[in-house]
Amino acid sequence: MGNANASRGGVAAFKRLFGFRDFGVVAAALLIAAFFSLTSPVFLTAYNFFNLLRQTAGLGIVAMAMTVLIVSGEFDLSVGAIYAVTGVVTGLATKSLGLNIWLSAVLGLSSAMLLGLLNGLLVTLTKINSFIATLATQMVYRGIAMVLSQGQPVSNFDEDPFYSILGRSEVFGLVPVQILWLLASGLVLFAALHRTTFGVRVYASGDNRDAAELAGIKTARVKRACFLVTAAAAGLASLVSLGYLKTVTPTQGTNLELEAIAAAVIGGTSMSGGIGSIVGTFIGTFIMAEVRTGLVLLGTDAYVQDAFVGLVIALAVIVNVKVSGRKAI
Amino acid sequence: MDGKLILEARDVSKRFGGATALDGVSLGVERGRILGLAGENGAGKSTLIKILCGVHRADSGSLELDGRPYRPRGPEDAERRGLSVFHQEIPVCPHLSIAANVFLGPFMPRRGLGPDWRRMNEECRGLYRDLLGEEIDPSRLVGDCTAAETQLALLVRVLSRNASLVVLDEPTTALTPPEVERLFAILRRLRDRGVSFVFVSHMLEELTSLSDRIAVLRDGRLVGELAEGEFDSRRLSSLIAGRAVEGGSPRSAPPPGEPFLEARGIGNGRSFSGLSFSLRAGGILGVAGLAGSGRSDLARSLFGSPPLSEGVLAIDGAARSLRSPADAIALGIGFVPEDRKADGLFHKLDVKLNLCMAGLERFSGGIALREDRLRREAEAAAAAVRVKMAGPDAAIGSLSGGNQQKVLIARWLALRPRLIVMSEPTRGVDVGAKQEILEMILGLSAEGCAFIIASSEIEELLALSDEILVLNRGRRAAILPRAEATKESVLLAATT
Repeated sequence: MGNANASRGGVAAFKRLFGFRDFGVVAAALLIAAFFSLTSPVFLTAYNFFNLLRQTAGLGIVAMAMTVLIVSGEFDLSVGAIYAVTGVVTGLATKSLGLNIWLSAVLGLSSAMLLGLLNGLLVTLTKINSFIATLATQMVYRGIAMVLSQGQPVSNFDEDPFYSILGRSEVFGLVPVQILWLLASGLVLFAALHRTTFGVRVYASGDNRDAAELAGIKTARVKRACFLVTAAAAGLASLVSLGYLKTVTPTQGTNLELEAIAAAVIGGTSMSGGIGSIVGTFIGTFIMAEVRTGLVLLGTDAYVQDAFVGLVIALAVIVNVKVSGRKAI
Repeated sequence: MDGKLILEARDVSKRFGGATALDGVSLGVERGRILGLAGENGAGKSTLIKILCGVHRADSGSLELDGRPYRPRGPEDAERRGLSVFHQEIPVCPHLSIAANVFLGPFMPRRGLGPDWRRMNEECRGLYRDLLGEEIDPSRLVGDCTAAETQLALLVRVLSRNASLVVLDEPTTALTPPEVERLFAILRRLRDRGVSFVFVSHMLEELTSLSDRIAVLRDGRLVGELAEGEFDSRRLSSLIAGRAVEGGSPRSAPPPGEPFLEARGIGNGRSFSGLSFSLRAGGILGVAGLAGSGRSDLARSLFGSPPLSEGVLAIDGAARSLRSPADAIALGIGFVPEDRKADGLFHKLDVKLNLCMAGLERFSGGIALREDRLRREAEAAAAAVRVKMAGPDAAIGSLSGGNQQKVLIARWLALRPRLIVMSEPTRGVDVGAKQEILEMILGLSAEGCAFIIASSEIEELLALSDEILVLNRGRRAAILPRAEATKESVLLAATT
């Protein structure tokens, strides 16, 4: 009797595991890790693990926020440019205006959110497709970063604890601080998307906008909030990068939007909205990073790596569509 | 006998998880005949159709098409064998012409590398003349066609590919009565030329008027077959429902009291204007009218989507402007849309979220989502309207049409609405579920919830309403109290 119960419990646990939406992505991440561990002895070391996460922290922060936006039925091609504007504004504020770096960072983050607000207003008020709208703002925002910085990098900042707090210290002498920013953003975004009524509204707006409106959900407001969250994440990611590198360039973050969308897609997010999860995207980012790192450890050159990441994206989407029985991504 | 059958199913069964969808169904379709297939939503009709076109595989039993074993691997395979299924949601290319839609595929006539438009148009015209006996302009864009014309184009498409058995899955839901007549005339003509049909419909009059024989499914079993001459709506509906369906309505006298809602000269500046009516707590106002009379638009505007542009809507004596559904909900109004799929359901979300989507604020304790409460309320709501489902986490798509409709009604109940506006409350819903929904409306009105019901089914309005507002080209043609309303008086006001 006890045995029967235990086995039934086991079956239930098994079902829960496979019913768990992100199971496939987690399994893929583990498989890839296993492969590279066998081919390279350094792959499965704490140092490599933390290093890998450190390098991908900025992308992870942006990709998880982008997931919220994609679930709501929109997306944002201007995050890379917002990432650049944030860095340039912060850098110039402290370097040319002589402001305190913390105050400058607040200024940079505010400008990111302002740009996100503009994206949201443009898309919701004019009903222009967000692909077109943010393609346009991407160029405008990148132009702003260029004009402000005159195309030059900004560096040689004064010493301040800011840099170590954002990107240059190691917690317990082991964990790079960027990883904490990544995890903190992940937790906040996870809670927002999966544990609040706001999250339910996001899913509803992306799933069926008309039905959501008729259920009393102000979808325009929801989508604007999602654009704002995404821009704020791009701003934060930019500050983390500034902390680590102590330099900013107006060209930084080029292609960040595409990498972020790729990470979300690998993690099982549907480009038509209504499906996606923060955990999935987190793992999706991790998969991209481990493929890159693993290939470096194997000694392949950078061009091959890009091609491989492309293959991983295609493979992830195919598997996702097959496994979930979905019609499209 | 065997030679006469184009399709024969023997002992076909299909289970999905724990649920039996089909249980030993045996039936045959005679060559050049129309077999009507009746049954409630969830009776097994869709499963049977999906097995016929190869979307599902039967667990046991056998199929024969044209005397040969038939186990289609998918819709294309079925089509190659001469069986086509014809349903509302067949995709068309709206920016291509009728001819292009008819010939789309590997057999499109070509000249060099490009399509041969002239030949295609000629052949298309020929097909229409030959198959349907109609003259058309094949170069018109499908996007400019009515639903009926699009349907005919699809019918020509499958017939041009030598379909010998066509399964018609509710082909009439989007058609007006004259269009239905025209379609039926064409189907009879095709039958007489040797094409066989399986005709699935919820409308008993349509089944009896078109079919040569009617098979009835209930709970996955074949419960009866009526040969021509035995057709009788009452007998058919009792076979379908498994019990006798009463014709009369238990609606008693309208509730006493002062009106809480008053509309004075309201309009949307487009499809209706100058409408005045009032409604008491627990009252039911029916809105009748032909398609395009402003009936559906009135229902939507009473929910603020889009807002009214003229007149005054007063609730409890105070003029209110409903600028959005959110405004309407705040005033205690709920809405069940006409097009369940497009405007009602969240297809990627589960049953419990679909049940609780209106008034989400009540599930936020502080900022966190109260999932336990959401689940509890969803279960209570589903139980209150008797939604048949595997559980609150089931996909909304796994529910039958009738149960989906119940979900859309139940969505509002936890908000204790004073008024629910409904458009076509029983569209695409089977006989049994229809009766349940009508009873539900009457029960809720007895508890004080008022209803405004816009419907193209006059019988339904007669069964429910205290008063029927009849619209004719956006104007009030009549407002008929219960005692004076008959099918004839409503029709007369709507059409003259």
